[in-house]
Amino acid sequence: MAGCGSATGSGSSSSDSGDKLVVWDWKSGEPAAATYIEKAKVDFAKKHPDVTVEFVAQPFDQYYTLLGAAIQAGKGPDVVLFNGGGQIRDRVSALLPLDEYVAEDRQRLAGWEAFTAADKTYASPVTLQGHPIYYNKSLYEKAGLDPANPAGTWNEFVANCATITSRTGARCFALGNKEGYGIQFWLSGLASGVLTTAEYDAWIAGKRDWNSPNVKRIFQLWKEAGDSKLNNDGANSTAMFNDSFALFQSGKAAHVIGLMSDVGHWKDFNEFLTPEKLGVMGAPVVTPGTTPSLPYDGGIGYGVTKWTKDPRVAADLVRSLTSTEALKAFFADAGAIAADTTIDATQAGPAVGTMISELKSGRPALHVALSSEALDLMGRLSQQLLSGSVTVDEVAKQMAAVDKAG
Amino acid sequence: MSIRETVSSVRPAPAGRTGEAARGTLGGRTRPRRRSRSLTAERLAPYVLVAPAVLIIVVLRLWPLLLGVNFSFTGDGDRNGTAVGLDNYLRLLDDPLFRQALRNVGLLVLLLPVAVAIPGLLATFIFLRVPGHRLYRSVYFFPAVLSPVIVGAIFNLLLAFDGPANTLLGSVGLGPVDWLGDPDVAMFVVVGVHVWATFGMALVIFLAGFATLDAALLDAARVDGATLPQTIWHVIVPGLTRTIQFVFVTTMIGMLTSMFGLLYVMTSGGPEGSTYLPEYYIWIQQGQMNRPALASAASTVLFVIMLAVGLLQIRLLRRAGRVD
Repeated sequence: MAGCGSATGSGSSSSDSGDKLVVWDWKSGEPAAATYIEKAKVDFAKKHPDVTVEFVAQPFDQYYTLLGAAIQAGKGPDVVLFNGGGQIRDRVSALLPLDEYVAEDRQRLAGWEAFTAADKTYASPVTLQGHPIYYNKSLYEKAGLDPANPAGTWNEFVANCATITSRTGARCFALGNKEGYGIQFWLSGLASGVLTTAEYDAWIAGKRDWNSPNVKRIFQLWKEAGDSKLNNDGANSTAMFNDSFALFQSGKAAHVIGLMSDVGHWKDFNEFLTPEKLGVMGAPVVTPGTTPSLPYDGGIGYGVTKWTKDPRVAADLVRSLTSTEALKAFFADAGAIAADTTIDATQAGPAVGTMISELKSGRPALHVALSSEALDLMGRLSQQLLSGSVTVDEVAKQMAAVDKAG
Repeated sequence: MSIRETVSSVRPAPAGRTGEAARGTLGGRTRPRRRSRSLTAERLAPYVLVAPAVLIIVVLRLWPLLLGVNFSFTGDGDRNGTAVGLDNYLRLLDDPLFRQALRNVGLLVLLLPVAVAIPGLLATFIFLRVPGHRLYRSVYFFPAVLSPVIVGAIFNLLLAFDGPANTLLGSVGLGPVDWLGDPDVAMFVVVGVHVWATFGMALVIFLAGFATLDAALLDAARVDGATLPQTIWHVIVPGLTRTIQFVFVTTMIGMLTSMFGLLYVMTSGGPEGSTYLPEYYIWIQQGQMNRPALASAASTVLFVIMLAVGLLQIRLLRRAGRVD
């Protein structure tokens, strides 16, 4: 409640003067983002030397509440940081479409989809979040497999896992499904090798057929992986953050479906496994004819509020915040996969290189399209699948019902 | 003069029970008219004195409670603010997760005697001065000062699938148990940890109760040659009826309302939703699913359950106390 007051308070003091822009975010206060902000400011000062920029770092847990108060009041920050997906789509009525200002950045940046509503773009992506399959090259070598050529099909993959387990004792997957997150990563990580392009696109567009053989196949694979002990023991009592990632880092499992930015990602794994020993592979092909792609969405991005005095100046600040120089600093310091596809990431190791080369052909992650109610139910059903107390058909039936209701 | 009269006539009221105060006021009405002014003050005084307490209860407790109940009859999302009748309650009944939460409440009620017996028995041993009772007194109380989050984190480590508990089982040739991943085991584990973490407080209450026990009765029992079980059953339990009653009610309330931290850290309501309790359900609906009205309905159900269980317990124990 106290937050509401401060939101309108700092807002009213801001946009009165035309030569000052106020930015709200939850990142600019972090030491890892300092260079990024500095570079963006320098870039913007070149274009508008007379405009001052003020960054206001809000606490993330109250961020959207504070922003809601500013939107209600119709005044406040000029440039606003958003999470991609639902968070920005729920608030586009307060934002300016940026299409005419950011046309030049279209090709250079990736992840626009998460900041688009009704064919209009409301923010420029800063980072990307996705679910690559990481693998431990040392274990591949120990098992006598070629780490440069991970399996292309599911059958090869399972055969490789059997070899790794028999020769090194490591399990195939590090899986943490205590909170029910494991299935979300599984669904998004493997879907591009199971669903046809048409099925994939229909899913993202909201036309989901839970009873189709290929969708059921994803859950069938989940169950089989559990039954044939591809996962670590006790997956239902292992926390994904960070117990399952710890299993992967310590070499107790050869693969993990992780994240691209923030945590459980290449930067964490590089520290333990070294960049040379960390690989990223595409989803093994289950359905012949499918083309595996990297599942990812825009992570965070900056948008412009409707009430800003000069939209062009504010949009220029957004462009500075997504300039190559600034994003390069963010990538290097914070370890986030930046939205800029031209950044040279070879220094960070082969895993990052693979991911960035996959960005062009990548598609949105399947689980991001689901409602929180559907995700909650899917988490519980996935635990039941692992313990054997529910069938795949029953899962499909329940998911179809909740997805329709939601 | 009138003030002195008022003071002198009011004085017994706070000390006495409400019944006596009411009788005094009623009696005042029949007294002669010339003393009416002081009698008005006398009549009003008790109300003025209880007013702050009543106001606090009404404004800060009952009024929000009514608002919450009222809110539970409105809708969420698109139907925000509109009256939806009993829709939220029907939805709760329909939700297997909420039914699981209620079943778990039933399980807690069944496990309650165990949760009370453990501190009761241990307090008895300390009271009977078993060797090392001073050490035990502090050791037993120690977990009570730990926050549920810390307790949960400790047991998460101990009970992990590849953790020390399973290593110990393995060393004696028993298969590993997925303590927090098996839906048939997890709830008992969490309740067990909760009892471990909180029984120290009940133990202290029991020890305080023992202090009021008549030592002569115990001596008499000893002289009569009563065995330990006989002493406990025929002397200690009847003497501690009120304490036991109090511990029963507070333990029940503690189980139903303070297990959130443990659940959150140890199981997140899982596996398979098997460790859901109403308060965890309320939090999920309010915080994760953004359905405050449904959460209010669940809160109202929890409140009614607590009220019913509490009243039932007090009645049962009072009857038991009378028999003894």
